[in-house]
Amino acid sequence: MRRLLALLLLQAFNVGLVHAKERLLEVVVAQPFLEMHSGPGRGFPVVYVVGRDELVTVLYSRTEWYKVRAPRGQEGWVRRSDLALTKLASGEPAPIPAYPQFSSHRWEVGAGYGVFNHENLVTGWGDFGLTDSLDVEFVVEQALGTIDNRYIASIGMRHTFIPEWKWFSPTAGIGTAYQYIDDIVPPKPLQSGNQLAYVSLGARGFITRRFMWRADWRKYIAFTDQNQNEEPEEWKFGLAVFF
Amino acid sequence: MEIRLSSVLLATALLSGCGWFHRGEKAPPQVVADEAEPEPSIIEPQVNRREVKTPKIKAKDFELGGYFGALSIQDFGTNPVYGVRAAYHVSEDIFLEGYLARSKGGTTSLEDVFPEITVLSDSGRNFTYYDLDVGYNVLPGEIFLGRGRAFNSAVYVTFGLGDVKFGDVDHFALNFGVGERLLITDWLALHMDVRDHVFETDLTGRTKNVDNIEATLGLTVFY
Repeated sequence: MRRLLALLLLQAFNVGLVHAKERLLEVVVAQPFLEMHSGPGRGFPVVYVVGRDELVTVLYSRTEWYKVRAPRGQEGWVRRSDLALTKLASGEPAPIPAYPQFSSHRWEVGAGYGVFNHENLVTGWGDFGLTDSLDVEFVVEQALGTIDNRYIASIGMRHTFIPEWKWFSPTAGIGTAYQYIDDIVPPKPLQSGNQLAYVSLGARGFITRRFMWRADWRKYIAFTDQNQNEEPEEWKFGLAVFF
Repeated sequence: MEIRLSSVLLATALLSGCGWFHRGEKAPPQVVADEAEPEPSIIEPQVNRREVKTPKIKAKDFELGGYFGALSIQDFGTNPVYGVRAAYHVSEDIFLEGYLARSKGGTTSLEDVFPEITVLSDSGRNFTYYDLDVGYNVLPGEIFLGRGRAFNSAVYVTFGLGDVKFGDVDHFALNFGVGERLLITDWLALHMDVRDHVFETDLTGRTKNVDNIEATLGLTVFY
């Protein structure tokens, strides 16, 4: 039994060692030639060309460009669409990761501008998709008014009605929030913080690659200690990156 | 992946364990099924299928760094500014960027002429801002130093919004900028930026839009 355990441990350790070593992807040029640019962009000139059946090492990527090393050590940047034509040594197509599908992406980070109760609003958000059409959203905002300055943090659920509509897809959500009010002009507010609840309507759409836009309208209820609850309204527009 | 790995481990462990337990015994006779026998082949390929794992490609789309320069605060003189910046490159053209910086306003001309007058308290002179920007690389290219050396570079424009805290008051501010990124190596970049932070204020008695232009020099790392 002890031997078995030792064997098991040894194997686990071996696997760990193999994984710890950094290996770089090597691909074989399958097209007539592969152009290497001096920088990651279309404005940079071609500085080297690798011929068919030669092996190139892929070092890392930046946006849609990949830094590669040619067999004789020259380094340069290759366009994703060109690299996708190369093959592995086994003959399979090179495993160049695809961009995340917009309709089924999981993570999203964005920022934007809005208006909260006639005050300018700066907003930033993070979003996690539980399914293609249901997200959990976390939003942090700052409303910069002439009387007060508010910080609002909210968490909510959002439903995207038709996630497969790429350019425009309506959304609706509900959630809860907390606002902290920092007064600029006296008198001090009766409460410096309240809890809020909201409903929202909005839309989202794809722009390019990992880039998207989002617009949102929210109606809040601020639960105050006074006889009447506040009912601020908010709209915003922002840009986001999805993963 | 973990499940597969552990099942492989378990299988090997079981096999080796079984081998050890039965080491004194004879191997059991092999039972060969006759009915589903395909046509006999001359060579049985004895190939151990190896699990080939292709390495992942690292993405280096983030840029992080700091900057230092001069900020001209309207009515309050030109003063040093220092800050941090972080960017994410979405495509070869577009990037999203955030800035966080601090400076301190000087004295107005009124205070210089009449030293007994103070417009702002000492803490009120602190000028801090954050910005959330979107940037576009308009002129990607190369900068040549001498005959044999070229550095990749890009001239970009940025636009964004954020908060400027000055005079102990937070102001909603827009910013417009133009800058140049010079890549010393593929992971280290030198930035030269000029940006204008515009916001509305009544600090000097009259409500007006003020322009606060900064010129900075920064260093960032791609990772």
